[in-house]
Amino acid sequence: MPRTTVTQDEVIARTAGLPSFPRIVTEILASLDDPECNLNELSDYIAHDPVITARVLSAANRAANRAPAIRDVYTAASLIGLSHVRQISLLSSIGQFAQIAADECLPSTYWTHSVAVGVCAEELAVHVAVPIDAEAALIAGLLHDIGQLWLFRFRSDAFAMAMERAFCRGEGIENAEREQFDVDHARIGAWLAEHWKLPPAIVSAIDHHHKIFSPPNEPLAPLIGVAEVLASALDLGGRRENKVTAISSSACTSLGIVFNEKIQPLFGRIEARSQHANRMFATGSDSAHATR
Amino acid sequence: MRTRTQYIPVSEAEAGMTLAAPLNVIKHRQTRFSLPAGHMLTPDNLRQLTANRAEFIFIAEPDTRSDEQIAQDTALVAGRIMEIFSDADLGDPTTMALFDQILAYRSS
Repeated sequence: MPRTTVTQDEVIARTAGLPSFPRIVTEILASLDDPECNLNELSDYIAHDPVITARVLSAANRAANRAPAIRDVYTAASLIGLSHVRQISLLSSIGQFAQIAADECLPSTYWTHSVAVGVCAEELAVHVAVPIDAEAALIAGLLHDIGQLWLFRFRSDAFAMAMERAFCRGEGIENAEREQFDVDHARIGAWLAEHWKLPPAIVSAIDHHHKIFSPPNEPLAPLIGVAEVLASALDLGGRRENKVTAISSSACTSLGIVFNEKIQPLFGRIEARSQHANRMFATGSDSAHATR
Repeated sequence: MRTRTQYIPVSEAEAGMTLAAPLNVIKHRQTRFSLPAGHMLTPDNLRQLTANRAEFIFIAEPDTRSDEQIAQDTALVAGRIMEIFSDADLGDPTTMALFDQILAYRSS
């Protein structure tokens, strides 16, 4: 297939054909410094989204395991905690956005992989020595491959061939993308994140998630890179292309991550939370099997 | 009795399950709730876990598989790990350490 260059102007122009980026994500990002505030604001916002409301009520009723059932978001948030409500809101809103944006051409493994990397990033943020906000890590992990979603939607045939070429060569998709489009999905994702006015740390993390060396003083970038490698090493997300070629030693050193027997409980938590989140937040045709 | 360990969401926990590791629910840097490894969960414990917003617990379950089945499962898991790391540079110490820990995690 002939090389077809993808430019930043085209990427941004075509966002007009995508749904609006979910406002709740930017609302949550704006309140990260005070995780226990804004219960009323968040609850009001959630109450207008029937999918998120249903998931929050479902989580609260499972936790409460009692009658009468909890029927309002305020009571549910007090029971399961605001941070859990925010997590449900992020997973639901970004999942719905990805599904609608892809216009039914998105392989289910795209979302299961994004959830796996998001959960890995969130758990790593709690584990590492460097202070990193866990919710920002979850968002960056969920969006790290958003550039692939754009390619799925607007360059589907060429992108499918690039994926197959990368798989046959046993190398990362980013090289095949650069050959085909002169740009890789990480850069396209960063352009999109910048356009949606996400914080610079998240834009940079999306941009650098395949690079061995990350910009200094931006710990979220190496964290997302390590999270993606761990998701593949643990074979999360059900992808045949789960492969580990390398893990950045400099990223691990800068984050204080050491792979010894003490890391195994972290593997357990990541695997359990990833599987649970993927059952709860399956998109499209998978969701019929996800209700429990 | 042989056991195997597993992380499960608290919403799936049941009274009578055994903790595989000490459980410490920490909120705002304060321990809110603790249980030792080997403790058998009671209905009260489940209520406390929910009240303290614990999300996941590490439990030990009876492993009813035969030796033959365990050997087969282990070989299958090891094969998949080798496939995942087939293009990795295991001469790199960090990649090798990750490989070792993944293998140890899956073998346990």
